[in-house]
Amino acid sequence: MTVVIHTICSLLSYGAFLAAFVAGVLFLIQERQLKRKTMGVLFRQLPSLQALDRANFLAIGIGFGLLSLGTAFGFLGAGRLLGRWWTWDPKECLTVAMWGSYLALWLVRLRATLRGRRVALLSILGFSLVLFTFIGASRLLSSWHAYL
Amino acid sequence: MHIVVVGLNHHSAPIELRERLAFPRDQLPGALARLRSDVGLQEAMILSTCNRVEIYAGVPELDGTIDRLHRFLSEHGRVAPDGLVPRLYSLSEPESIQHLFAVASGLDSMVLGEGEILHQVKRAYEWARGEGATGKLFNALFQRALNAAKAVRAQTAIGRGCTSIGTVAVTLSEKIFGSLERATVLLIGAGKIGELALKRLAARGVREIRLMNRTLDRAEELASGCRAVPVPLTALPSQLLEADILLTSTSAPSYLVDRGAVAAAMRARRQRPLCIVDLGVPRNVDPAAATLENVYLFDIDDLQGLVDSTQEERRQALDEARAILAGKVERFFSWRREEISSCLCSGPAAAP
Repeated sequence: MTVVIHTICSLLSYGAFLAAFVAGVLFLIQERQLKRKTMGVLFRQLPSLQALDRANFLAIGIGFGLLSLGTAFGFLGAGRLLGRWWTWDPKECLTVAMWGSYLALWLVRLRATLRGRRVALLSILGFSLVLFTFIGASRLLSSWHAYL
Repeated sequence: MHIVVVGLNHHSAPIELRERLAFPRDQLPGALARLRSDVGLQEAMILSTCNRVEIYAGVPELDGTIDRLHRFLSEHGRVAPDGLVPRLYSLSEPESIQHLFAVASGLDSMVLGEGEILHQVKRAYEWARGEGATGKLFNALFQRALNAAKAVRAQTAIGRGCTSIGTVAVTLSEKIFGSLERATVLLIGAGKIGELALKRLAARGVREIRLMNRTLDRAEELASGCRAVPVPLTALPSQLLEADILLTSTSAPSYLVDRGAVAAAMRARRQRPLCIVDLGVPRNVDPAAATLENVYLFDIDDLQGLVDSTQEERRQALDEARAILAGKVERFFSWRREEISSCLCSGPAAAP
């Protein structure tokens, strides 16, 4: 059961980070249109910077919550099945790194020390870490989580 | 039944004449009644806007109708026919129908593709219908014209984009902030163009407007016109922290706001986005401020460029719009042919 919750929460959190990534990319496109003063088709179709920024922030918050939950259940499951909660599995390390990165990003955005373009860029960067954890860890590094 | 249109617009007549010929709302019922009783129209509709006055007339026989409409208009405007008639255009089918469809779509407007005319045609038609001045033919005609205009606006670029500095400023701000309901606007200077842009923003329901001017008197005078707060020029640094949209419209010879001031403000406002619309010539805000993050700076040339590109886009959409309208006009005529033939078929059967 813990493994099921662990899997579902983790996958959902990846989905939320994907949403944040998409919002980040759209933000950068719209920002570029504004800075370059072009009002093309893209400019008209895309939402406002404010809306994209809020969507990005919300998605990161939700993703972070789900990831925390998923990771916690992962540790719990590992404790039960393997007898120890930390196994130095590459995916474990990457996930903790990812968890820390998104926490940092979320706090930075919440406290508004960074805003706009940089947050969008970081959320794109963050998603590359998600991809690497999700796919790369299984393929390139030997991991418990090799299901891909 | 023939459909004719007699009228004048911004191409054919100067504003003085258009003003005299205009029909205020309260005169419409009387005018529509006289069109039917005195001029002999079976169906009538009067379109009166600031750029045009047109009478759409449905008559069983044309003979003399156009002359009577000329006389009607010259009496209404108290203008001698000699001065008026050369300024009038009179169109009969099919040009009258094509004209109506083009007018409703904004193709004949001063600002190509403007959308207000669609509402004006709709209102004018509804008033005429309310007075019982329209019948089956005009009801079908105007409904089809309005639908055609909507289709053209939806399917082509004819109504897209912004056509004035003020609406461009609104669109750009809305693409940054979304709704402007929580935005605070700071206007520096009392230039005419700044005032116009401010009114556009105010119409979008901005939360607060602050006015800054070299002389506080003028700021107060402007402020009284549009629920705004006058603030002294010395408060600029602190005002820069609070504003979301900064409009400048002064004739100051050097920059009022330099890059350093904006950079300091951005740090203090924790990078909350700032939209700067600089309408001054020479410019009031250092263009280098545009390189700062979360600062969106537009000068008058940027805005004018966007207005021009809108007009260019609309001009390019003109052929496409005309093609759609031609199809719609054709459909109206084929509808009417069917109506006539069905009347002809049922006609003799009803007679003894």
